[in-house]
Amino acid sequence: MRGGALAAAAAMLAAPAVLRAQDSTGSAPVGVRVGITYTPGTRPSVAVLPVATATLDSVRAVLQRDLDFSDRFEVLMPPASVAMRGGAPNYPGLTALGTDLAVAVVAGPAGDVDVQLHDVRTGSIRSHLSVTLPAGGEPLRQAVHRAADEVVRWVTGSPGVAATAILFVSDGRLWRVDPDGQGLANVPAAGRPTLSPAWSPDGRTIAYTAFVPGGRPLVLQDLASGSREVVPGTEYGVNITPEFSPDGRRLAYAHGDENGTDVYLYDVARRCCVTRLTVGRYYDNLSPTWSPDGQRLAFVSSRPGSPQLYVMSADGSGQEALAPFDYGSTGQSNGPEWSPDGQAVAFHREVGGVPQVFVMDLATRTVRQLTGEGRNEDPTWAPDGRHLAFASTRGGVRQLWIVDLETGRLRPLVTTGGARLPAWSPRRTFFSEAR
Amino acid sequence: MMTRLWRAAPVLVLLAAACGGPPAPAATTPAPAPSDALRAAADSAAAARRDSVAAAARADSLARAERERVRADSVRMAVQHISSDTAPQAVAGGLAAADSALLADAIHFDYNRADIRAGDQAVLDRKLAVLAAHPRLEIQIAGNCDERGSDEYNLALGERRAAAAKRYLVAHGVAAARVAIVSYGKEHPLDPAHNEGAWTKNRRDDFVVTKGAR
Repeated sequence: MRGGALAAAAAMLAAPAVLRAQDSTGSAPVGVRVGITYTPGTRPSVAVLPVATATLDSVRAVLQRDLDFSDRFEVLMPPASVAMRGGAPNYPGLTALGTDLAVAVVAGPAGDVDVQLHDVRTGSIRSHLSVTLPAGGEPLRQAVHRAADEVVRWVTGSPGVAATAILFVSDGRLWRVDPDGQGLANVPAAGRPTLSPAWSPDGRTIAYTAFVPGGRPLVLQDLASGSREVVPGTEYGVNITPEFSPDGRRLAYAHGDENGTDVYLYDVARRCCVTRLTVGRYYDNLSPTWSPDGQRLAFVSSRPGSPQLYVMSADGSGQEALAPFDYGSTGQSNGPEWSPDGQAVAFHREVGGVPQVFVMDLATRTVRQLTGEGRNEDPTWAPDGRHLAFASTRGGVRQLWIVDLETGRLRPLVTTGGARLPAWSPRRTFFSEAR
Repeated sequence: MMTRLWRAAPVLVLLAAACGGPPAPAATTPAPAPSDALRAAADSAAAARRDSVAAAARADSLARAERERVRADSVRMAVQHISSDTAPQAVAGGLAAADSALLADAIHFDYNRADIRAGDQAVLDRKLAVLAAHPRLEIQIAGNCDERGSDEYNLALGERRAAAAKRYLVAHGVAAARVAIVSYGKEHPLDPAHNEGAWTKNRRDDFVVTKGAR
């Protein structure tokens, strides 16, 4: 465990040059991944096999893209003449391609679909999953996303993040999109603009700031029923940056009034009791983000004159500067989000007046800059701890992009102009649950 | 005393609401014990005046707490449907055009600061005169920011900018209840450009009359 942490830290330190190169060239250099099933510097290749029917082909297309976007494989799409023989995988042909693994999508007997992972060397099915496919549309795609995440787990030991969703704000309204850029849909929400969406750990409730006449309350919204409630006390003042605790029982947020903005906790589980964690007078404390063990909160404080990153215990004690900064010369730092593995905090910091995404390694308390082209803001971690979504103007207008920290691969997520404030969901969400 | 009461009222309401109890009884200070009041009445007219001032303050505080309660109810109602934030309806009733213009004058801020610039005190002083001449006028101050920093940080900063102007007005005799504040963060830039010229314009407090002189 400790060795793994150190190796991950080393990998993070090694990566900036790779990512900066990515920024300017758009190439996808291979990074270093230290893990159970990888050889450093290489990714396993997976062949996605051709299928017999158009329906299966649409399934295969989603699956193939999910595997590609997991950034854990070299995904091959060999033609049937190479990959298949007599309706079955052509193991010698696949071996000749240099791949050890093949994924097949096969029609099952009862209208279901069998997703199979073949071990090419032994010529056998290593793992498989029977999927009952919904008729089509988003439910079908979600079913395939879940299968793709299983395939990733079979190979790497931890599941993919295809069956997740990203909430974001565009034109003052709330939207969701799948990590593959599909399934874009408005999420009806109170207020306009609606800002700072956040997910509960079970993926069934969201919290956000609603600009409504007379107030800036925090709203808790159940995704299934659409029902909404106001966090008590947030009818007053300005209320921003909600974040659920990892156990989902508490909500940390910032409440501001005429004396400044401070971090508070609301007991969501008991629907009771607000605790104040910071006391700033004429400066602001906001943007709390939980450590995965729920013991600590990183947050933004303007106590040094400009907003910078701080950290405290979840009871408000032990407040101290988190990310290094030079008083008066380091640009303001905002939007922190603690990584799912607990080892890093992503945030954005102004460099020459332009925001750029940074990641701080907590073991060494060193920061590295991930972006350099355009304005890049508000990074949010995927539950796999290796992908970040963020808002960027690198394409001309501000939209969302995803970067894989381990390969440096970068891709646009949505082309909706003005997209901002992304929040990546936990692994299970209301949207991805079988319906 | 006024100031302290005014600050205490929303906090008490907030805490009561936070504990999920029944709607907060309006935030009040404990009534003086009867014997105190009797002694005060017997002792001197000055003490009686003090009591009447305190009573007025209590009534004022009660009225404000009630208004806050109604506003909080309306906020809770507003989230039940899809409603946009709308700028308050500007009211001009009973004001000369020149006075309206003085009240509407924006003030501006240095980068990442929320203190009133020396030069802007004169702008606020001119508003003081209009507010003094029309004691029924009520205004809303909206704090705004340039695009640097996060969307959220600027909401906090905008709140402080609006509060700074309110503090100045209240310190110079305007009743706190006549001045509402709101933050728009960087949601409403006057100039959307990405340069110092635009940023300078966007770091501002806007002033809107929400209740007329009549």
